[in-house]
Amino acid sequence: MKDLSTELMSELQSKISFTIPIFGGIPVPSSVVVTWGIMAFLMILTLIFVKNLKKLPTGPQIYVEAVVGFINNFFEDILGKEGKRYIPYLGTVTLYLACSNVIGILGFTPPTKDLNITVGLAIMSIILIEYSGIHAKGKKGYIKSFSEPMAILAPINILEIFIRPLSLCMRLFGNILGGFVVMELIKIVAPVIIPIPFSFYFDIFDGLIQAYVFVFLTSLFMKEKMED
Amino acid sequence: MNTLIAIGAGMAVLTGIGAGIGIGIATSKATEAIARQPEAKGDINKALLLGCALAEATAIYGFVIAVLIILFLR
Repeated sequence: MKDLSTELMSELQSKISFTIPIFGGIPVPSSVVVTWGIMAFLMILTLIFVKNLKKLPTGPQIYVEAVVGFINNFFEDILGKEGKRYIPYLGTVTLYLACSNVIGILGFTPPTKDLNITVGLAIMSIILIEYSGIHAKGKKGYIKSFSEPMAILAPINILEIFIRPLSLCMRLFGNILGGFVVMELIKIVAPVIIPIPFSFYFDIFDGLIQAYVFVFLTSLFMKEKMED
Repeated sequence: MNTLIAIGAGMAVLTGIGAGIGIGIATSKATEAIARQPEAKGDINKALLLGCALAEATAIYGFVIAVLIILFLR
């Protein structure tokens, strides 16, 4: 029992994979290295599939167009016409989150298990949300929107700027960490065959749902900021 | 001391009760709505997923707090 708990604790710490030997050593966490791997993977896929595109799609181009069309339609349904300029960023975050949540099935630790990564994503999201509000309504309209529907509610509206990214990053982090802890426990107790069905649920289903929820909530908040 | 930490972590995870009840109610209403109006399935699913994500957040907060208690107090 003691071994089990110490093993679990060592899995929970975010590991340092190597140190850059300048300025007295900059530690590079393993989540950053896995993120680089995902970036390289996505970049290579992009380079392969974007080569010699044709007007009439043939072969793999059909599937690529279907995926891109699905992402575009999904965000355009929520954001509307004026939100079209934010779709590339949201689509990139979707692809990154989907890859990083599912990567646990290959034996890597998912980068979203590291709180620093989810905090970074949430801060980027809240900046985009507030920017979309400023862009759609202008500076005056944006400041005025804090006093809606009543001036008394302004503190709550301002508090929302801090609560939204907190809840976004904690939701993603907690879900992935929870799935990770359960998977590690199952792997320690029964290392063969039994983890497979659980892995399908915790790594694939839960990971994809959380990626979907993250970008869905971000675009929903943006729509709210742009509208009222 | 260890017993107290374990009890505290267990109490933090009790937030799951609320999330479970909330998601259960949301899903039951969604199935009712789909049975009544099958053509609005897509919209209902979207709203259900949003509600589930928001309701589930409370359980996740409880879980995170429990993990933090165990990690920092030992």
